[in-house]
Amino acid sequence: MKKVTALLLAGMLAFGAAGCKKKEGGEAAKAAGDTIKIGFLGALTGDVAMFGKPTLEGMKMAAEELNAAGGINGKKIEIVEADNRGDKQEGASVTQKLISRDNVVAIVGDPTTGITKVAAPIAQKAGVVLLSAGATGPGVVENGDFIFRNTLLDSVAIPACIDFFAKDLGYKKVAVVTSDNNDYSVGLSQTFRDAAKGKGIEIVADEKVKDGDKDFSAQITNIKAKKPDVIFYSGYYTEAALMMKEARKQGLKANIFGGDGLFSPKLIELGGTAVEGAMSALGFSPEQATPETAKFIEAFKKKFNGAEPGLFDAQGYDGVMMVADAIKRANSADPKVFKGELAKTKNFKGVSGTITIRDNREPIKSPLALLEVKGGKFVLKNKVPVKMD
Amino acid sequence: MTEFLQGLLSNINPYILQIIVNIGIGIVLALGLNVITGLTGQLSLGHAAFMSVGAFTSALLTIKLGMPITLNLLVTGAVTALVGALIGYPILRLTGDYLAICTLGFAEIVKVVFLNLDITNRALGLSVPPANSAIPMPFVVWGVAILAIILVSFVYNSRFGRALKAIRGDEIAAEAMGINVARYKVQSFALGTFLAGVGGGLYAHFISYINPSDFGFLKSIDILSMIVLGGLGSIPGAVIGAGVLSAAPEFLRFMANYRMLVYGALLVFMMLFRPNGLMGGVNFTDMVLRALGRKPHLKTVLQNREVGK
Repeated sequence: MKKVTALLLAGMLAFGAAGCKKKEGGEAAKAAGDTIKIGFLGALTGDVAMFGKPTLEGMKMAAEELNAAGGINGKKIEIVEADNRGDKQEGASVTQKLISRDNVVAIVGDPTTGITKVAAPIAQKAGVVLLSAGATGPGVVENGDFIFRNTLLDSVAIPACIDFFAKDLGYKKVAVVTSDNNDYSVGLSQTFRDAAKGKGIEIVADEKVKDGDKDFSAQITNIKAKKPDVIFYSGYYTEAALMMKEARKQGLKANIFGGDGLFSPKLIELGGTAVEGAMSALGFSPEQATPETAKFIEAFKKKFNGAEPGLFDAQGYDGVMMVADAIKRANSADPKVFKGELAKTKNFKGVSGTITIRDNREPIKSPLALLEVKGGKFVLKNKVPVKMD
Repeated sequence: MTEFLQGLLSNINPYILQIIVNIGIGIVLALGLNVITGLTGQLSLGHAAFMSVGAFTSALLTIKLGMPITLNLLVTGAVTALVGALIGYPILRLTGDYLAICTLGFAEIVKVVFLNLDITNRALGLSVPPANSAIPMPFVVWGVAILAIILVSFVYNSRFGRALKAIRGDEIAAEAMGINVARYKVQSFALGTFLAGVGGGLYAHFISYINPSDFGFLKSIDILSMIVLGGLGSIPGAVIGAGVLSAAPEFLRFMANYRMLVYGALLVFMMLFRPNGLMGGVNFTDMVLRALGRKPHLKTVLQNREVGK
């Protein structure tokens, strides 16, 4: 009896799920024909869904805006989504599916470097544009001329900030903390160490933590003994918030500084007063925003009941907008044609910053915004120009 | 030859091909664990760790030496088997839960070691160049998968395989019959990890980018699910289990976000209705022979027996 009930339940569940999807499929099929399909690659479930979901939200917002304005060259934009759970094997399958089943002209995502590296050779071989809205690590655009990204690169952002720190803020002693199971963090710490050379900055402590750690007392005790002026943490906001709580508990006065991994409303939510003075280097600023960014923030708040957009929302939005812009300029939705225009993107007024694609297909955003937490909010501390070379 | 094979592949949709290759890699991994857990009865929760040893060894052999893929996979398998034997030697003295916990701990150690070694590029992982091979990768994967099936089938019916089955049945009784339990266990562990290493090497070259975090506990559980679903100790079971579970996430894609829920539900119902797995307790050879009419159906055998009485 129990088995029968269980079976019925499972059956209902499966049919229910299938039913929901069918409706969406019908609508999509109706719209096909005169659409330009852009694929979303990213995780909607699993550990890294926190990057994938906002990217997709941003992409959908961009598509809605473009379609409301009549589409590109008279064609509507359609976002094709598929979840990869943050799994590389599935990431590869999804990329193949988007290209060979859904016939997308471009893929925006994956927000993580790892899956972007898996997807890039596939997209390059198939001749489909892949624009990663989040990959910061090395070895992404090297995969070929169909591969792009629109993130602020650490190798650009950190050296620019270090000058400001050493000269304007007078920081001399820095404690570097790395999350050693996080590829983004390991890469960023290395960039920091390289950039700090010859700038009169001394790295007094080099501590390691792990993503998912809750207790940072040992690391903070070590750091406190070295009396640093500032803590450089290259990982994400969750650990940063908990680390600062521990630092304040132990009476360590130094503030924390990091890359865009620290920029999230969650940092303040989790850290409270402990993260006052925390700094994050970013390609855009919610304060003194450019008209584009201000418009985006307003539209986002309207759509999501007052929620502030995060970095990944903005990058996903820009990803679709950059592709759309290139298609418009090339007057063609053929990836082989518009990839050339995408490579020529110059001073693109994105919501995540003003983006220029350089000759090596790496993006640059200038000026940088150095944000600081003040009174429980991210405020603009300084605008740091980036050298274009 | 190369062009002919490439031509064959170009007729297949790349998405389908991707799934087919994933199944092939899954089969190699599942067969390896099936030797350890299914045949010898030693529960290992660290199969993904051996897979990562293989993946990194194989990647480094290609990057540093440009070794041809066949030789590469053999060396990779041998290195992984050596690691497996070294680990197996002390921990296989444990049984049941204790062994499982030990393999779990080992898996964590491997991950942390790779996260801190410069040669594996720490958490940044390795980009793997295309395999040095004249034969396209999908053929290599399936060639290896078929060889693995043959190898494990051969082991099953050998003296060595019977000894392993005896250990699974009752260790003390096996020892009383003159089987060197410790030695056979280490050998079975080495064989299982050899296949895990080869599977890892195939994975590294097919996915083209590997990272120590890819081979966590969940990956081990995925492989364990394959052989449990298929039926512990059954070769066709391992193959079917690997096939079903490698393909399921893609075939369930139409359910969007419910997909992993249904995937989990599938596993639960499998275990409710067929606790021994799909092929558990089924003699595959007999089944095929009967279906082909080469061997009388069980019912007829029984009827004949009745008549004979």
